[in-house]
Amino acid sequence: MLSRSTISRNAPRALQKQCSAAGATSHRGMASAATPGLQYDVTESAGVKVANREVTGPTGTLALVAKAGTRYQPFPGFSDALEQFAFKSTLKRSALRINREVELLGSEVSSTHSRENVVLKAKFLANDLPYFAELLAEVASQTKFSAHELSEVVLKTLKYRQQALAANPEAVAIDAAHAVAFHRGLGESITPSVTTAFEKYLSAEAVAEFAQQAFAKSNIAIVGSGPNSAEVSKWVGQFFKEAPSAGGSSKYHPQQSAASQYYGGEQRISSKAGNAVVVAFPGSGAFGTSAYKPEASVLAALLGGESTIKWTPGFSLLSQATQGFSQVRASTKNLAYSDAGLFTISLTGKAEQIASAGKSAVDTLKKAAAGEVASEDVKKAVALAKFRALESAQNLETGLEATGAALINGSKPYQISEVAQSIDAVTEAQVKEVAKSFLSGKASVTAVGDLFQLPYGQDLGLTV
Amino acid sequence: MSAPSLTSFIVKRPWLKRWMTPIAEWYTDAAGYRRLGLRADDLIPEESDVVQTALKRLPPKEAYDRIFRIRRAFQCSVSHTLLPAAEQTKPQEDVEYLSPIIRAIEQEKKEREDLDSLVVRR
Repeated sequence: MLSRSTISRNAPRALQKQCSAAGATSHRGMASAATPGLQYDVTESAGVKVANREVTGPTGTLALVAKAGTRYQPFPGFSDALEQFAFKSTLKRSALRINREVELLGSEVSSTHSRENVVLKAKFLANDLPYFAELLAEVASQTKFSAHELSEVVLKTLKYRQQALAANPEAVAIDAAHAVAFHRGLGESITPSVTTAFEKYLSAEAVAEFAQQAFAKSNIAIVGSGPNSAEVSKWVGQFFKEAPSAGGSSKYHPQQSAASQYYGGEQRISSKAGNAVVVAFPGSGAFGTSAYKPEASVLAALLGGESTIKWTPGFSLLSQATQGFSQVRASTKNLAYSDAGLFTISLTGKAEQIASAGKSAVDTLKKAAAGEVASEDVKKAVALAKFRALESAQNLETGLEATGAALINGSKPYQISEVAQSIDAVTEAQVKEVAKSFLSGKASVTAVGDLFQLPYGQDLGLTV
Repeated sequence: MSAPSLTSFIVKRPWLKRWMTPIAEWYTDAAGYRRLGLRADDLIPEESDVVQTALKRLPPKEAYDRIFRIRRAFQCSVSHTLLPAAEQTKPQEDVEYLSPIIRAIEQEKKEREDLDSLVVRR
């Protein structure tokens, strides 16, 4: 008899042997069933753009991406309200019924919004695809937008969301940085702040009018992951026939915002929730757009601040530079949008330390601009930036929205190999150049928290 | 809040409806609330969760008008007078404004109860 422990002890070793035998002849990656296909099949059915990637598995995801984020909202709070109104009462079913049916099918529906898109998402068991295609179509074209749901459900949730935003100084600072950098359009607050008078614009009829254009056929894309492509386009074609088509004009229709322009400046907001300083520069747009600059995402990885490995500060320059400040957390991101991007360095933590940590962060950026960076580090940054880009494309949460947005804006969906190539091609000189251009242009600096202690942009050594 | 009613039985039979309508009109008029400037829906007792929710869902203008009518009627009652004929509620003004909302809320409640006691057979 074999005891269990012998099997468990020997199994990994046996497996290793097998693998190495296979590896000698051909290099084999992970089992192909577990690796989702990354190429999207793009079709158009019933006038709606559909992208789907087939992933063999028991579950599937279907998302409706509408170009109706805060950038396109006509008045503050509309994107939030539209997002909250998803899966509420429709002409056919009540919100409760939708909820219970979804529970019975053992699935998950959710809605989110970003600066550019409102995303309705459903995750389900693979053979429930027709039900969810119908549900998304129903939500998009037949939601009732009743006044009592606005006042009893939507506004109440919105209040909590405002409070959640106000309690997060970093989010407030990033929001303010967008406002300073882009003014209108991308600069609109992602959720109206607690002091914004948004109620006077918001009514159920106005949101209904906004939704009609927001969910118009030309303004949405359906993105699937998992189900069979032919099935997806068949069901979408059947159910999205009645989706509204664009037309007419009203002050509540989504705004066709002008091309984003970078302004820069400084804003200071006092808050008791905590402290954050965000330094932002014009970064890289989304892949496939004219504003795409892979070197900015490499610089973001190079400056970094957050380690990707446990118990070590990591290679990134900011985490090295802020090592002495135990109460400050630094992170660098490149937030990409369809025609612009924002490169943000955010510092959160104790107000006393943020001032000096901020100064050393800016010094680090200056060093990068002067080219005083080890080429080893740049290589690591290129690898990390490539990993991040590919991971976000592969990841369900971010990949669906990115693909949908790319479809609506007319460009092609994420082409994985091209993203990898473009990042691989980034040279040290390019990274140095982009850092230099940041320092020569105007920065956007926002400080949230204890303003008595938090530094001004000029104190950090930036031109604002 | 709904009391047992013969209405649907009568409305379904045109001959019976034709016969009953004048009687109903006479009866409603004789009830006297129209002379105090009220509407039938103003008389619905407020002391229930359903009606309270319905009142919250009234559009602001409707809610204001309702309170105005009730206060005016109360004043008439205190002073033992009737409104001048011009200000009394005319039959065509005596429309349902609250009952549809109440019916919708009752339906929501019923749906919730039905779904709560649902038995799933696959």
